[in-house]
Amino acid sequence: MQTQQIVLAVVVAAILVVAGVAAVILLREEGPAEEKIVYYTTMAPSLMDSWLAENQTSAYIAWEPYASSSVVAGTGRVLMYSSEIMPQHPCCVVLAYDPFVEEDLGGGVTGQVLTLRFLKAHIDATEWVLDALADKDGANYTLLVDMAVQFTQRSSAVVEEAFDHVTYGYQMDAEFNDALEQFTQMYVDSGLVTNESLVNLGYANASVFVDDYVDESYLVAAEAIAPSPTILNPSDPIRLGYLAGDLHQIAQVVALNESAFGGTSIFEDYGLNVDALDPFLNGNAEMLGFKMGQVDIGYLGAPPAINKRVNDLTDTTIVAQANSEGSSLIVSVNSDVNSLEDLVGETVSTPGELSIQHLLLKIALNREGIAFVKG
Amino acid sequence: MSLTANTLVGLRKLVASRWRELALGTLSIVLFVCAWYVASWYLQETSSGLTPYVPSPRAVGEALWKSGSFLPGLDRYTMWDLMESSLTRVVLGFFVALVLAFPLGMFMGSSRIAEHMGKPLVEMFRPIPPLAWVPVFLLAFRAFWGPVAIVFLGAFFPILLNVMFGVKNVDPTLVDAARTLGAKKGNIFVKVVVPSVVPYLMTGVKIGLGVAWMCIVAAEYTGLSGGAGLGYYVMLSGTGSQYSYMYATMIVIGVLSILTAGVAGLLEQRFYKWSGMK
Repeated sequence: MQTQQIVLAVVVAAILVVAGVAAVILLREEGPAEEKIVYYTTMAPSLMDSWLAENQTSAYIAWEPYASSSVVAGTGRVLMYSSEIMPQHPCCVVLAYDPFVEEDLGGGVTGQVLTLRFLKAHIDATEWVLDALADKDGANYTLLVDMAVQFTQRSSAVVEEAFDHVTYGYQMDAEFNDALEQFTQMYVDSGLVTNESLVNLGYANASVFVDDYVDESYLVAAEAIAPSPTILNPSDPIRLGYLAGDLHQIAQVVALNESAFGGTSIFEDYGLNVDALDPFLNGNAEMLGFKMGQVDIGYLGAPPAINKRVNDLTDTTIVAQANSEGSSLIVSVNSDVNSLEDLVGETVSTPGELSIQHLLLKIALNREGIAFVKG
Repeated sequence: MSLTANTLVGLRKLVASRWRELALGTLSIVLFVCAWYVASWYLQETSSGLTPYVPSPRAVGEALWKSGSFLPGLDRYTMWDLMESSLTRVVLGFFVALVLAFPLGMFMGSSRIAEHMGKPLVEMFRPIPPLAWVPVFLLAFRAFWGPVAIVFLGAFFPILLNVMFGVKNVDPTLVDAARTLGAKKGNIFVKVVVPSVVPYLMTGVKIGLGVAWMCIVAAEYTGLSGGAGLGYYVMLSGTGSQYSYMYATMIVIGVLSILTAGVAGLLEQRFYKWSGMK
């Protein structure tokens, strides 16, 4: 009898708990009925197309080639390009570690000299990419696609589709700074960066911070750099950081390639020994690498660079742009979603609250009077 | 006497009987906070690069206070919302683990065949960190139940193994005595084995609850629905370098873990009293 009572008590308790939890879930209060909300969930871009295909999300926003992968697979279509949200918005940048730049390697070789040569190689590689993209029947385009396929582990169809939506460039102008200022201000508005932390760093506001964080003087000086017959840092390689499979950063892949340029890479042409590290999974991981002094120069998205510079005091400087635009909002090919308004009440995947894709989608939705809230 | 008065009397008795334990526990926490304060002060004074990562106890306290109404980086959420979401997942995952692990543990503990068949699978899957299962579980069980499944996985094995151990350690003298008195196999199982297993079950429950809370970060870090939880915000605040809020959230996880284990302990004591086992 006693055992039966025990079993009964446990069963009743379990039923009450499950019923209570179900009641909480079902009766959870929603926002005001008239408010338009799009919900988001965060995940790695590599998971997004499978979630979309499984109808667990109604859309996703990601950088290339993750956007084109579902378009080429026939499971997704583009609802909106990031260029439509903010034309020519900056995306990936080239970041230099300040202690590396200030380092004296002896023999007249300094970190600054190496950084300028690196940037010259970046400029040449970027212009090679632009020339290749301008002539799709040329041999260089085939070479570029091959390099991209190897780097991204995607098919040539995906890579070629992705190239059509990325703009490569290295210059930084007033619009570039304005966009970074807008991203910084969005961080301030959401509390991820505080005005107090900017002031503690010596900056009155986001605009002053960005003007200092972005240094165009390196690019200006790099334009005059000539090739070098010898390697200036044979035993102190530049430790290069970059993101895994990110097509935005193809310039460093081109600059490292030896076979495409007669046996020496563009970096070597400019007298550089560059050691490409194992790829980082995201910008935050790469910024941790900078903080730990394991990365000298890196390619990554501008927003994590900004966040970690301000909050973690990671001593870095943005010395060049790597690309602009190159992200897309993808919906299922069969879905009824034809506008941002159609996403109201639905769930969208983003790479995370700190990513540029998340910020851009938030801008686009807020413009339509739609709130963007974690689901 | 009213329920409130009874509770107050109970609490007074608890404090009176365990004041040394409470005093020493409080002292250790105070010493820890003092050491933490000294460390953050030292890092700040020496302008160490680690300063942002070790906010002062006061900064964390302020973050904890403010989190009741605002969370950096997570619009329209407060710490209360995070607690609600995570408690839901932990309670659901834990109870599913309990409902499955208890009978399975009883079966594997009392049947050699079941034990020999089940043990290799248990030993194979037990050491795999729950984080490794996240993409698979999220796709298999969908966005709400995927995180619950991660919590379930964390709580399942401690309960299963403790119940199994409990069955195998039932005093054979009691079994013999029951058999001598004419009890059949079923009666022996229900009236001797099950009550003997309860202390082991409760040990497994308390460990399982702790592991369930440990899994909440892995469970919530990606792709979930049902609201952001404590684990999600630990990841977001860390990624966003809001370390005061990150530590504040970790403290909340710790406190909730202690409270849920405490509830389990109280239920255990009530059970023993009611069944006359103590």
